[in-house]
Amino acid sequence: MIEIHGLSFRYAGSDRDALQNIELTVPDGDFLGIIGPSGAGKTTLIHSVCGLVPHRRGGDFYGSVTVDGMDTVDAELTDLARVVGTVLQDVDSQMVAANVDDELRFGLENFGAPKDEIEERIVEALRAAGIEDLRDRVIGSLSGGQKQRVAIAAILALRPKILLLDEPTGELDPAVSEQIFRILREMNERFGMTVIVVEQKIMLLSSYAKTLAVLNDGQLEVAGPVREVLKESRRLEEIGVNCPRVVTLSRHIEDLTSGAIAATVEEAEAMVREVLR
Amino acid sequence: MTGFLDYVPGSSVLHRLDPLTKLVLSLCVCISAFLTDNLIFLLVLVGMDLLLGVLGGVFQKALRLLSGLLKLSVFLFLLQVLFVRSGAVLFEYGILKITLDGLFVGARLVLRLTAATLPLQLLLSVTQLSDLSGVLVQRLFVPYKYAFTLTTAIRFIPVFAAEMSGIMEAQTARGVEFDTKNPVKKIGLLLPLCAPLLISSVGKIHESAAAAELRGFTLRTRASQSKRYAFIPADYAFLVFSLLLIAAGILF
Ligand SMILES: Nc1ncnc2c1ncn2[C@@H]1O[C@H](COP(=O)(O)OP(=O)(O)OP(=O)(O)O)[C@@H](O)[C@H]1O
Ligand SMILES: [Mg+2]
Repeated sequence: MIEIHGLSFRYAGSDRDALQNIELTVPDGDFLGIIGPSGAGKTTLIHSVCGLVPHRRGGDFYGSVTVDGMDTVDAELTDLARVVGTVLQDVDSQMVAANVDDELRFGLENFGAPKDEIEERIVEALRAAGIEDLRDRVIGSLSGGQKQRVAIAAILALRPKILLLDEPTGELDPAVSEQIFRILREMNERFGMTVIVVEQKIMLLSSYAKTLAVLNDGQLEVAGPVREVLKESRRLEEIGVNCPRVVTLSRHIEDLTSGAIAATVEEAEAMVREVLR
Repeated sequence: MTGFLDYVPGSSVLHRLDPLTKLVLSLCVCISAFLTDNLIFLLVLVGMDLLLGVLGGVFQKALRLLSGLLKLSVFLFLLQVLFVRSGAVLFEYGILKITLDGLFVGARLVLRLTAATLPLQLLLSVTQLSDLSGVLVQRLFVPYKYAFTLTTAIRFIPVFAAEMSGIMEAQTARGVEFDTKNPVKKIGLLLPLCAPLLISSVGKIHESAAAAELRGFTLRTRASQSKRYAFIPADYAFLVFSLLLIAAGILF
């Protein structure tokens, strides 16, 4: 479980808070999507959970973040990393090895995974990320999207209890983005991993996440089950978060149906049929 | 196209050698090039470097480095020829004086530079960086942090180069003439770029270190490495050969 209470953070030298009085609880097994305009504080929030804030980012930190019983300020970065696997926004800077195989091996070796398990876990993680064919490639020769999947595989191999991803589909086309989210859903459902993902494409979030948190200007605007949050579509649009067109559509239909919100294309279809009948 | 320091995958004898052997061999070629004063032996070393390049299937890359070194070599050669004033005079005109000694010193410097640079490039072409750091940690007991720093520095060279040319392209688009033939003017244009480049590089390295820490970097010890290295018969042959090179360097 992750508990965030009264969290405010201001980067050293900055004159405004990157995060302001955040209250958020993420239960075990949740699939949380974080969305918000650029500069809203999404990355800062992710860093607050994995411990980079405040351990590796100078600034004023108020409030508390508790991850799996550990206070992030008191715990060592490495001890947090045993529980939390993080895929950072900048893929290039998180590559530590020269080739894909070593990239996956790195974390496994560091955390002391049993030597006879390493091979199996590498194969499994590569398969999960759909990049078995890249295993012997030199990192420098990969495309942005391929690197992104290598970064994800390297974290999946560690089998963390909590998985944090900062815009993991930033450089991917829609089909591959879907594939990544299917992987995340599988990790979440099959292994009970808690997944927290920052994502700009709200359509993806609303079809895969269980809960949504909307950040704007360092503040948590709304948080809750996807359906509840989507009901606030008018407010989201004011912030600059475009709702899925099906949501906008269902809002128009709302007057006619008085109530329910469609979150996926299928539901919207059913709803439209219902209205048209 | 791969960068001139990148690893080139392959299955040649050189690729299969133990990383330690390759490290020893390339260092021995360098040391030998500095021990000897004999021009013929230096030429033999350069020839051998190229031959090893053929053996490792990276001959084209070695040639590219050679042509890259050519400009610098010509410059260094001329410098030596013009500044060495001792020995039999071959040509004299005003203060300009070219001596036999000058020609020798210049040729020696250039050949030495070439003979010592090629094996380092060859080493990186046929050895994965991770194997290099792996063997430093496992066999030579270098602390992992230092080995990691070394390999990261090598890995970042192309990243910096790309960044530099990115900045230059952007500036060229704004009308800055980087293609000027005047070297003084060019340096004047490039110097101001160093600060931003350095800042962004340091930033990148910081990010990289933080990311490594999130994956348990600080827990890593000598025992963490799961890959083990072992000598094949060819390794012993190459090691003996390396020692012979040192001996030859002392002799000639
Ligand atoms: N290292 C830093 N030093 C100072 N200010 C920073 C630093 N990193 C981020 N900020 C500022 O903090 C605020 C929040 O940034 P953050 O990176 O968390 O936003 P974000 O929501 O992730 O944006 P994006 O969608 O562009 O990734 C921004 O105003 C940003 O300028
Ligand atoms: Mg961000």
